[in-house]
Amino acid sequence: MSGLAIVFVVIGLALIGWLAARMRAATFRKPGVARFTALPVHYGYFVAMCAAIPPLLFLAVWSLTSPALVTDAVIATPAAAALPSPGFERASILSEARALAAGRSHGVFHALSGRLAPAYAAAQARYDWIATAVALLLAFVGGGMAFTRVRPDFAARTQVERGVMLLLLAASLIAILTTIGIVASLLYESGRFFSIVPIGEFLFGTHWSPQVIDPRDPGASLGAVPLFWGTFFIGAVIAMAVAIPFGLMSAIYLTQYAHARTRRWMKPVLEMLAGVPTVVYGYFAALTVAPAVRELALAIGIDNASSESALAAGAVMGIMIIPFVSSMADDSIAAVPASMRDGSLAMGATSSETIRKVILPAALPGVVGGILLAVSRAIGETMIVVMAASGVATLTANPFASTTTVTKQIVDLLTGEAEFDSAKTLAAFALGLTLFVITLALNVVALTVVKRYREAYE
Amino acid sequence: MNSPLVPGVPAQGHEPAARRPTDWKAASVQRRTRRRYAAERRFRLIGLAAVWLSAGFLALLLATMLWQGASGFRQTRIALPIDLAAARLAVTPAQLRERGANLALAGAGLEGVVDRAAVRAYGQHGADLLSDGAWLVVRDAIKRDPALLRRSTTLAVPVASAIDVAAKHDGAPRAEAIVARLQARGVLSTGWATGFLTTADSTDPTRVGIWGAFKGSLLTMLVTIGIAFPIGVLAALYLEEYAPRNRWTDLIEVSINNLAAVPSIIFGLLGLAVFLGTFHLPRSAPLVGGLTLALMTMPVIVIAGRNAIKAVPPSIRDAALAVGASPVQVVFDHVLPLALPGILTGTIIGMARALGETAPLLMIGMRAFIAAPPSRLTDPATVLPVQIFLWSDDVNRGFVEKTSAAIIVLLVFLLAMNGLAIYLRNRFETRW
Repeated sequence: MSGLAIVFVVIGLALIGWLAARMRAATFRKPGVARFTALPVHYGYFVAMCAAIPPLLFLAVWSLTSPALVTDAVIATPAAAALPSPGFERASILSEARALAAGRSHGVFHALSGRLAPAYAAAQARYDWIATAVALLLAFVGGGMAFTRVRPDFAARTQVERGVMLLLLAASLIAILTTIGIVASLLYESGRFFSIVPIGEFLFGTHWSPQVIDPRDPGASLGAVPLFWGTFFIGAVIAMAVAIPFGLMSAIYLTQYAHARTRRWMKPVLEMLAGVPTVVYGYFAALTVAPAVRELALAIGIDNASSESALAAGAVMGIMIIPFVSSMADDSIAAVPASMRDGSLAMGATSSETIRKVILPAALPGVVGGILLAVSRAIGETMIVVMAASGVATLTANPFASTTTVTKQIVDLLTGEAEFDSAKTLAAFALGLTLFVITLALNVVALTVVKRYREAYE
Repeated sequence: MNSPLVPGVPAQGHEPAARRPTDWKAASVQRRTRRRYAAERRFRLIGLAAVWLSAGFLALLLATMLWQGASGFRQTRIALPIDLAAARLAVTPAQLRERGANLALAGAGLEGVVDRAAVRAYGQHGADLLSDGAWLVVRDAIKRDPALLRRSTTLAVPVASAIDVAAKHDGAPRAEAIVARLQARGVLSTGWATGFLTTADSTDPTRVGIWGAFKGSLLTMLVTIGIAFPIGVLAALYLEEYAPRNRWTDLIEVSINNLAAVPSIIFGLLGLAVFLGTFHLPRSAPLVGGLTLALMTMPVIVIAGRNAIKAVPPSIRDAALAVGASPVQVVFDHVLPLALPGILTGTIIGMARALGETAPLLMIGMRAFIAAPPSRLTDPATVLPVQIFLWSDDVNRGFVEKTSAAIIVLLVFLLAMNGLAIYLRNRFETRW
């Protein structure tokens, strides 16, 4: 049976167990018995749980291990003796035979895979039957043993609730597993990269041109400093030069001056800026903003103006970040006690003087925290720079010149046709690790600042 | 009366120097006040300008997309006189009623017949005027009305991309000249690009459609919500309702907050290394895309869920506990139903973000050219944002309007989702 069919059969068995246990438990309720340890439905859940969980766990483990077992069985057949030694070709023949056996493919590229396909189909069928038998056995044994325990004095509710708690705990552990997965995969692949390229050359080298990597000295063309500079220049300088004034002033206007009705309309409108997908911003930057920026640069007499300028990418990124800065600033301004503001106004200060001299200084830690989070988001932003920034790494402070960023390079390195183990593709993971560490540090600092500041007035 | 504590008071038993009242009428004071008021007005205006400019950026963005994309939904057609009776196609009416009609017509050489008709009508380069898919329109017309096979008729068929661009915008000079000539003959017309919403990717911009990418998005979102929603809600319930305060739950909490702020491309690297590299799941498949996006969306749902659960007042829990409910019953029968609208709002916002996400999907290979809509979770597929990215890279001018048109479709969906979230928030907002 196929995987999905077994799952449905197991769930069906669990459902039958649920119904049977519930009906049986319903007969326990006789007049004169005042207390129950559990409702009939709890007995149902208990039996269903015992019938479904062991086979489903088994199937999950099985689906991860059985492909390797099937392949081993195929390799043990006489037809597989002609297979080439382990490598790319062998893997491709095996995967083709697998596809052929599963009926997913019609043409045959390697003649050998056509001969191996029957062996594959046979091994697959054998292992499928084993899986079906074991899963059904587990379901029947688990469900049956649970059913024999359905008695009036059995505390089914406690048992079921213990299971539910385990489920909840498992769900929240997935967050940790994801974090571990990210860190482990980045560390592992970066470790392989740093065994080829010294970490110092990667972090402090100033020449980045992964298109031509000299196999004798791969580190010479994999110095990431221009990428770090470009990321910082676009994400933290240009984007913030747009986002901070606009975001901050919008927040000030909407919280301090605007009519309640204006505020109710304008806030969602600004939030829509954050809801536009980044690929749309990227297209907008590449198609509309970049040519305009280039025209502007040529008009004011800059001759090395690029149509993939840092300014176009950075400015559009800044526009994207405006609502983010604005809502963080909004929060921290709202957290400043009204008495401080009223005191300043009572002394005769105008609203703008109150805002500049009292409210902003008081809200500053929160605003700074928000800006740090915005920077972290800007340097991790990918699509705008992929579509609007250049792929050439240069160390320049001219906003009209072209620069590249870490995220743009990760995409470029991994979407080429290079094999998975080259220094080129592994470099993407090293860049990813750097990006992860930097954004993590920024987030932690920002969240700490915001949190500490929030507590000050409460 | 000497007081060293009060500065400015003369010490030798004199009366304190009387401070002169401010003369509000004095020129210097008036000038100062005017200056302060001017600064106040300036500041206020700057704020107003910031708000309007920010909204203006949004308006400019939307207007640009609408301006460029609106024409992507329309298609230029050319009147093609075609004599199918003279062509004597080797198909029987019985074949046309069966499922093999497409195959029969293609095998009978309809494509060549259409090209020859174009040459007869518009000179030796006539066939170049037609879109590669023009014969499909003729084919479908024959299928609708087999009587066409016995007479000559005139059908409006789509024109080639260069002509289409020249007819709608400024095209290449040569194409412009052709369009001017054709318009003078009155054979050009414009109609809805019917295929745009129903077909998949193609190399010819007049034949592309978004249905393939849309279906890919749909399947991917199905996987994402199927994984992220239950796990996110259960994790939120555990952390908010049962978790003991200790180092472990702190660790879980910190990782969830950090995951929500990790750049999305990092999730793409994770998907590449774990799902493709370790588990060998199929490349470009909605299954892998959905798993990757689920890991990204889950923290958003957990955070929204915790806030919604926190907002349910303790009195509800106390009342349920007081009548003998167990902690699990309290949460699943009382707290969860009350918190559900808030959780759903957060989920919709998270899903909207996932729907617009591109970068992680590029990492797991969803940028392939795929001309058939996926039918299973493991089929190669692409999604709407990636399709937009792929078309935006195409040098063919015809793709510009298609890209913007696809953006309009994507934005309509996102705005609908965000609107639904706002509606839900307002509809179910409870004041306890």
